[in-house]
Amino acid sequence: MSKILVVDDSNLARRATRAILEAAGHEVSDAQDGLAAIERYFLDKPELVLLDVTMRDMDGLEVLQRIRSVDPEARIVFVTADVQSSTREMAVAGGASGFVVKPVSSGPLLDAIAEALSGRPA
Amino acid sequence: MIISELQTDAISELINIAFSRSAASLSDLTASRVDLEVPEVSVHPIANITAALHRFVKGDVATVHQVFTGPVAGDAFLLMNFDGAVHLVELLTNGEVVSKGLGASAREVVTEIGNIVMNACLGVFGNLLHVRFSFSVPRLSLDDLGVMVNSLIVDSNPMQHALVVGARFRLRNSEVTGCLVLVLGIASFELFLQEVEAWAERSLRGGANE
Repeated sequence: MSKILVVDDSNLARRATRAILEAAGHEVSDAQDGLAAIERYFLDKPELVLLDVTMRDMDGLEVLQRIRSVDPEARIVFVTADVQSSTREMAVAGGASGFVVKPVSSGPLLDAIAEALSGRPA
Repeated sequence: MIISELQTDAISELINIAFSRSAASLSDLTASRVDLEVPEVSVHPIANITAALHRFVKGDVATVHQVFTGPVAGDAFLLMNFDGAVHLVELLTNGEVVSKGLGASAREVVTEIGNIVMNACLGVFGNLLHVRFSFSVPRLSLDDLGVMVNSLIVDSNPMQHALVVGARFRLRNSEVTGCLVLVLGIASFELFLQEVEAWAERSLRGGANE
């Protein structure tokens, strides 16, 4: 089981994702904005980050860039309602390991996590 | 109208999902990337919506209005700042210069934009909340915000409430601001909140798409 950081400005999304992950046996920490996410990432050293795109102050694409500029091996899966193809392309170009469309159900989310942790490309 | 913390969180997340889908529809329409800021959601008695709208739109506004019917029934209004509406028309008509009053073809374009954006948004509500909506034909009006709000208040039952969603987004370096306003009667609002809470509970069990 893995340490996973959940980054989302929605309380409901954080709670729902945490419930799915904990039921699957993962250890979960969370952050509600981009700056807190970067701080938690380097404090907790999670094996995987689940990251929303649309957030106040710093969006998920910028968080991805900042984390991977310091840790190029970081595994980051986007969990977002933004279904524009340009967003997915920017995420993949930035090194994202996966992309899950909101609202999330446990099956697709856990599949994307398993795939990212196995090191297969997004 | 008292809204619980769980209902507030769930409405915010539903709006986030719905507006992201609307932004994607707009992106497909304009063949441009749409950068959406986090939408702001609030609920007001119908008589008190002016200040909420003023935070996002001022002066002349283009308003697309659709009546929706079904178990949850009401009126949906999409308000866009006039310059933003003109910018969208220019993007969709390959830079055709738009007159100040919007000509007939420009009005059709704005109406269709409103129709697509509101259907994308309410379609997400319908699918996730298991509520079927039927829509009337959209109608466009161009007015000063004050005139538009006054007519909305006069035409509404004072017991009605409005869910106001303010959004800012950027397309090709231009900012467009707008508000989606859903005006609902008490019975419809209560049913809407019940369905929102049921969806939140499904989400917390890992079944947000059930």
